[in-house]
Amino acid sequence: MDNDDFRRGKPTNHKVFGKDIVVLAGDALLAFGFEHLAISTVGVKPGRIVRAIGELAKSIGAEGLVAGLVVDINSEGLTDVGLDHLEFIHVHKTAALLEAVVVLGAILEVGRDEDVERLRKFARYIGILFQVVDDILDVTKSSKELRKTAGKDLFADKVTYPKLIGIEKSKEFAEKLRSDSLELLQVFDSEKAAPLIALANCIAYKQN
Amino acid sequence: MVFSTVLTSVPNLYLTRKPKNIHIQIRCLSSPSVSISSQSNLTQFDLKAYWATLYAEITQKLEEAIPVKYPDQIYEAMRYSVLAKGAKRAPPVMCVAAYEIFGDNRLAAFPTACALEMVHAASLIHDDLPCMDDALERRGQPSNHKVFGDDMAILAGDALFPLGFHHIVMHTPPELVPESRLLRVIAEIARTVGSSGMAAGQFLDLKGGNTVDFIQEKKYGAMGECSAVCGGLLAGAKDDEIERLRRYGRAVGVLYEVVNDVLLSKSTEKEGTEGQEKKGKGYVRLYGIEKSMEIMEELRSKAKNELDGFEKYGDCVAPLYSFIDYAINRGFNVSDLSQ
Repeated sequence: MDNDDFRRGKPTNHKVFGKDIVVLAGDALLAFGFEHLAISTVGVKPGRIVRAIGELAKSIGAEGLVAGLVVDINSEGLTDVGLDHLEFIHVHKTAALLEAVVVLGAILEVGRDEDVERLRKFARYIGILFQVVDDILDVTKSSKELRKTAGKDLFADKVTYPKLIGIEKSKEFAEKLRSDSLELLQVFDSEKAAPLIALANCIAYKQN
Repeated sequence: MVFSTVLTSVPNLYLTRKPKNIHIQIRCLSSPSVSISSQSNLTQFDLKAYWATLYAEITQKLEEAIPVKYPDQIYEAMRYSVLAKGAKRAPPVMCVAAYEIFGDNRLAAFPTACALEMVHAASLIHDDLPCMDDALERRGQPSNHKVFGDDMAILAGDALFPLGFHHIVMHTPPELVPESRLLRVIAEIARTVGSSGMAAGQFLDLKGGNTVDFIQEKKYGAMGECSAVCGGLLAGAKDDEIERLRRYGRAVGVLYEVVNDVLLSKSTEKEGTEGQEKKGKGYVRLYGIEKSMEIMEELRSKAKNELDGFEKYGDCVAPLYSFIDYAINRGFNVSDLSQ
């Protein structure tokens, strides 16, 4: 799909194992994720685990991750793509899974529905934030620093935040997302929320 | 994959006496069958009618489960494969049939039955990709990737797997199936799809290095096994009953594929066409026709023996018996059921 040679500092899976194996590996990992969630979760009522499975399934399917990938693929080469369109891609491609994992934590720990929704929103913001920062870095950094192939977006003629609104506005948008996401966490105990606060900052200030 | 080949002409095998279509009343089913015939000792369940009813219900539920919305293309791709006219719906029918040995409300089984079909379709889409089996056709129509492209086909499969799980969670009435049981069903399906089930089978099929029996069991037996087991789990069957269903389902799944292999080789023999490369690792290619027919009889007998252990459930087991006969005799064309 993206035809990438590098991922996470190593050659991509299909470069090492071949395209046929990589499809099966993806299928097996996806399946194992659900199996693991279903049988390895301890100390949680079955009803909550079932709800968590539903949440995870929704986030990676045609209403989540896959939707983002489809629209992303179909957008290559298009010149009249607006911010809404770009946001759709990132909400689904990146944020959906992040939302799911955050929400899963809340569901499994008997969180109140309003807190679950608050955390869902937090995750959505940092998901988009992740992508905005990624887009900025793709333009400003080298491959070595990024540990993946730099300049790919430009090469692939993909729509990115810097391309649509420029680097400076993208950085402003990133800062707004960071502060809005942290605001959502203010209702929670600051010690308990510390990891999530750190995560938001880590994403905002990442260098690769 | 099990139940995935539609044969339009079915040469007779005459392995066993050809069964008569005698209708018997199935007291434990929620949908009606027909009246008792007093004539013969050879009772035979009307599988065609049973399958036809379920076919229609499952297809409708699948249709409702995958409505088209933005981005349309992915939903069209998913629907294309799941709602293909040539689909037999064998996994869902097997699941409901297994459920009905022990349970009395098939609404409990329908969401899982639909999920099994989604997962089955997903694995077929991926298997057919150019980088895997490179199939041009599936279920009587061009393969998914031929119509929608490789990227969309990969994503359609990726979307159908989780949709199955989501569908089970959202539609299985908790008052009919306790959540702890539902988790076992989900785990069962996940295991079947994954590295110890179908993915393993497909991997070995692509890479070689293992016996055809192992491959057949993993690739074809897995879905039959999973469907039967899920049906039993949903209805609260006991562990030893689940294992019995597992062995039955696996045997029928492999049996179906061995019969396909034999029928295909007999028909190409008749027409004098070349052997197919695709069946390179098939039973007939490796063992020859005679030995393959022996294997068929072994599998038939094994499946039947497992079901004999359900004697106390009486007529409720009839559909599962008739699957065995159908695997061998193909008394009707499943694609006709969609008319």
